[in-house]
Amino acid sequence: MLRFDRRLLQNFDWLILLFVITIATMCLMNLYSATYPNISRGTPVYIKQLYFFIMGFGLILVIISLDYRIFLNLNYILYTCIILLLLYALLLGRIQAGTQRWIDLGFFNLQPSELAKLTLVITLASYYSRKHTEEGFDLRGLIAPIGLTLLPFLLILKQPDLGTALMLGFIFVSMTLFVKLKWQTLTFLLGVCGSLIPIAWKFILKPYQRQRIETFLNPESDPLQSGYHIMQSKIAVGSGLTFGKGYLNGTQGHLDFLPERHTDFAFSIWAEEWGFVGSLFFLAVYFSMILWGLNIASSSRDKFGTLLCIGVVSLIFWQAFINLAMVMGIMPVVGMPLPLFSYGGSSLITTMAGIGIMMSVRMRRYQVPG
Amino acid sequence: MRQDTQKLRTVNEEELTALKKRIDLAIGVIILFLAILIARLWNLQILKGPEFATLSENNSVRIRDISAPRGNILDRHGRLIITNRPYFNVVWFKEDAPVPDEVIQKLSPILKEDISTLLTRIREAAGQPRYIPILLKEDIPWSALIYIENHRLDLPGVRVEVVPSRNYKYSNLASHLVGYLGQISKKELQSSQYQQYKGGDQVGKMGVEKRFEETLRGEKGRRYLEVDVHGFEQQQLKHIDPLPGNDIQLTIDVDLQKTAEESMAGKAGTVIAMEVNSGRLLAIASTPELKIDKFIGGIPIDIWQEHLDDPLHPLINKTIQGVYPPGSTYKIVTALAGLSEKVITPKTIFYCSGSYSLHGRRYGCWKSGGHGAIDLKRALAESCDVYFYITGQKLGIDTLAKYAKSMGLGEKTGIPLDHEKSGLVPTSDWKKRQKKESWQEGETLSAAIGQGFNLTTPLQICCLTAATVNGGILYQPQFIESITDPEGSILQQFTPVKTGEVLGSHAYLDIIKKGLIEVVNDKHGTGIKAKLDNIVIGGKTGTAQVVRLSKFKNVPDDEIPYRYRDHAWFTSFAPADNPEIAVTVLVEHGGHGGSVAGPIAKQVLEKYFELKNKQPEQ
Repeated sequence: MLRFDRRLLQNFDWLILLFVITIATMCLMNLYSATYPNISRGTPVYIKQLYFFIMGFGLILVIISLDYRIFLNLNYILYTCIILLLLYALLLGRIQAGTQRWIDLGFFNLQPSELAKLTLVITLASYYSRKHTEEGFDLRGLIAPIGLTLLPFLLILKQPDLGTALMLGFIFVSMTLFVKLKWQTLTFLLGVCGSLIPIAWKFILKPYQRQRIETFLNPESDPLQSGYHIMQSKIAVGSGLTFGKGYLNGTQGHLDFLPERHTDFAFSIWAEEWGFVGSLFFLAVYFSMILWGLNIASSSRDKFGTLLCIGVVSLIFWQAFINLAMVMGIMPVVGMPLPLFSYGGSSLITTMAGIGIMMSVRMRRYQVPG
Repeated sequence: MRQDTQKLRTVNEEELTALKKRIDLAIGVIILFLAILIARLWNLQILKGPEFATLSENNSVRIRDISAPRGNILDRHGRLIITNRPYFNVVWFKEDAPVPDEVIQKLSPILKEDISTLLTRIREAAGQPRYIPILLKEDIPWSALIYIENHRLDLPGVRVEVVPSRNYKYSNLASHLVGYLGQISKKELQSSQYQQYKGGDQVGKMGVEKRFEETLRGEKGRRYLEVDVHGFEQQQLKHIDPLPGNDIQLTIDVDLQKTAEESMAGKAGTVIAMEVNSGRLLAIASTPELKIDKFIGGIPIDIWQEHLDDPLHPLINKTIQGVYPPGSTYKIVTALAGLSEKVITPKTIFYCSGSYSLHGRRYGCWKSGGHGAIDLKRALAESCDVYFYITGQKLGIDTLAKYAKSMGLGEKTGIPLDHEKSGLVPTSDWKKRQKKESWQEGETLSAAIGQGFNLTTPLQICCLTAATVNGGILYQPQFIESITDPEGSILQQFTPVKTGEVLGSHAYLDIIKKGLIEVVNDKHGTGIKAKLDNIVIGGKTGTAQVVRLSKFKNVPDDEIPYRYRDHAWFTSFAPADNPEIAVTVLVEHGGHGGSVAGPIAKQVLEKYFELKNKQPEQ
C-alpha cells in the first residue's frame, strides 16, 4: 500500500496547496498588523503562527504519503485517544480564561477539542462508508453515530466551549444529510432538535452564553460586553470602505478595542485595512478552496474518500461562515476561529491535517482500491 | 484491512453517484451562504461604509492609562519619608487636533513655558503611536488648571491628567539615597528593562527610586473611553483600577539622618551610621544635598545648572562615589597586618624623632617634634606616622594589601545602589601593570599611613570600622528593612549579608580596639574632641593630604585654597565595651580629622544614644 506510485506525484493537488499558501500569507500579514506595534515580550504571534504553518505543511507531507484508507481502521484508536485527551483536559488541563480547554505541551498549549473535530469527521466517514442500506438509514442505524458525536460533544460543552461543541453538531448533521436517510427519520430528528433548543437554553447554556445571544438580539442592552464587540467589529469592517485604510493603518484594530483581534476577530482587521476589494479577494480564495474540496469529494473513487472530504469541507466551511458572520455582526459571538486565518496552533494544525487528508484522497482518485 | 477494502470494492456505484449528486446541492448551499456574506460586506462597507467610517474616526475608543500610585518610602519607625500627592499634568493628543500651532500659542502663557520648549516636547515624541498623549507640562498650579478646564473648547486635544506624584515629607532628606523621578528618556524607552513604559511616564532616575523601580511602580490601570469628534469623552466603557506599588521601609532613622545632615551644614562630605553587627544603615548622608523637591515634574534647567556649578559637587554621592586617601584611618589595617604577621607586638616600641629616613629621603611625622619612644597603643592614640612607617616597611606593600583587601578595601561593599566605586588598594603587581614601573619602598611608607595610591570610599571605612569591633565580620551595608505590598503583607525582610572575614585573630583586633578607645579618651589622643560625656567611644582620626605642596607648609589651613586643603576623616564606634554602631565622617577639604570630623561624629553619636534612650529596645 505504501509502494510508491508515479501517478501519485502526477495527481498531486497543486491547486489546493496554492489556495492554502495564499491564505497563509494573508494570515501572517494580518497577524503582523493585528499585533502592531508589537510591545509584548517573547516571540511575536505572527512568528509563532509561521512555525505552526511550517508544522502544518510537514504534517500534510506525512498524511499524503499515506493512503487515506488506513483511517478506515485507525478511526476507533484515534477516537479513543481523543476522548481520553478531552477527559484529561477536563480534569487536569490548564485553567485559562475560566475554561479547561488546554493541555500544556511546553512549546504550545494543545486544545484537544480542536483535534476532536477532525477525529469525528474520520469516525463518521468510516462508519457511514461501512454501513450499506438500500432504502436509507433509519433511526436504529443512527444510534451509533449519534452516540459517537454526543460523547465528545458533552465533554467539550462541559469545558465549557460552546462554539466547538456546536461545531461537532454541525459536522454530524452535515455528514448525516449526505448519506441517505429515511424521510420519517429526517422529520423525527428535526422535531427532536427543534424541541431541544428551549431545553438547551434553559439548562445547558451558561449564563454568559445566554447573555451573548441576548445581546446579539438586542445589542444596545450591553454596550460594554459582547454587544460592544459586535459594534466595534462592525465599525472596523464598515469603515474599511471600498479599498480599506491601508496595511497597518487600521485605527480600530490598533486601539485595542477587541481583546480577540488576532484570534476570532482577525478578519475585522483585514476588512478594515483592505476594504471591500480586499475582503472579496479573501472570500474568493477561501471559498474556492472550500468548493475545490467538494470537487475532490466528487472525484473520489470510493465512498469513504467522498465522506472524508465532505466532513473536512463542512468542518472548514461552518467555522468560516459562523466566524465571518459573527465578525460582520449577523450572528452572536461564539468562540469560533476562522480556519487558517485566526491565530491558534491547535486549530491550524487540525485544519492542515484535514487538508492533507483531502489531498491524499485527490492523489489516489485513479487508484483501484486495494 | 483486506476485509474492509473488500467491502469498499463492493460499494454500490449507484450509491456513490447519489452521494455525488448531493455534492452539487452542497455547492449550491455554500454559494448561497457566500452570497449572504458578500451581501453583508456590501451592506457594511459600501452602503453603510461612510457612516461607519465617521464612527470610526470620531466615535472611537480611547484607552487612557491611569497611573498607579507609587509605593511609599518609610523610615525604620514607619514614618513616611516619601509619599504621593496628585499632580495635574497637561497633555496633548495628536489624534484630536492636527494643527498644534495656535493651540501651543494659547497654551504658552498659561503654562508659563516658551513656545519653543513646548514644540521641542512635541517633536521629541514624534515617533510615538498617535494615541499616546504627549506631556506638555507637569504639575500645573490650580489657576492654570481652572483656566484650561474652562477653555476646553478653544484647546482641542489638550487635556489635564491627574497623576500621583512624589511628595517629600522631609524635603531633601537622604536625597542621594532615595533618589528622584524623572520623565523616561527615549533611550530608556528603547531598552528592554522599560518595555511596559510609555512616553511621559515617570521612572526612578537614582537611588532607591531607580534601583527599586519595579518594586515601587505598581501596575497601571486603564480606562476605555468613547470620545467624540473633538476628543471629548462621551462615556467610560470600562475601567481597570491601577495596582499601587509596594512600600519600602528603610533602615534609616529620620531623626538621626536629620542630625547627620544638619551637622554637615555648609560642608561637603558624608556621614554614615551603621549597625556594626548587621550592616543596617541608620543614617547615610552626602552633602550638599540634592534638591529633589525641586525636581518634581522635571528638573528645571537653572536648578540643574546650579547643581552642576556648585564647587561642592552635590551630584556626587560622596558616600559611595567619592574616593579619598584613607589617611590615618588606614593605620588600623597596618596595625592588624603588623600584629598578625608578627612584625610587631603590642609591646614593640619604636622611636619617633619627628621623621624617618629611608634611602636618604626624609619622611616626616605629622608631629614634627616627634613622639619619642612609643608603643602601638600610643601610636594609634596619637597617630604617630613614624611607628607605622617602620611597621609598613617591615611588612612590604603586598602583605599590607592582603590585609587591606580582607577588610573590604579595594572592593565594592555591595550596597544596592548604582555607581558605587571600589577604590584602590595598590600592590606591586598593580603598579607594574598600570604605571609600567616597579614599586618603590618609599611608596610603602606612604601606603602604610593611608597616603600614596590608596583610595577608599567612606562607606568602606565604615565597614572596616565595624569589622574591627564586631569580631572581624564584614557585612554588606543595607538600607532596606522590609518591602510590603499594598495589603500590608511583608514580601521581603532584612537579613544580614556577610561578605567576608578579616584576616588575623580576634585578639589582635581587640588590641587595636583598645588603641582606638585611647584615640578619644587619652589626653594626648587625636580624637579627643569627639569624646562623649557619659558614653565611652572609640575612633580613629585621619587627615588625608590632597597635594603635598611645600608652598603651603606652615600656612594656616583657612588660607590655603579650598581645593588644596586636606580631607578630614573620623571613624568611630560606640559604646566602647560592646559596640553596636559605627559612625564614619568625611569632610572634603575640611582640614584636620580630629578637630573637624570628630565633633560631627560626636553629634551623631549623641543623637543616637538620645534616641535609643527615648525608645525602649524592641
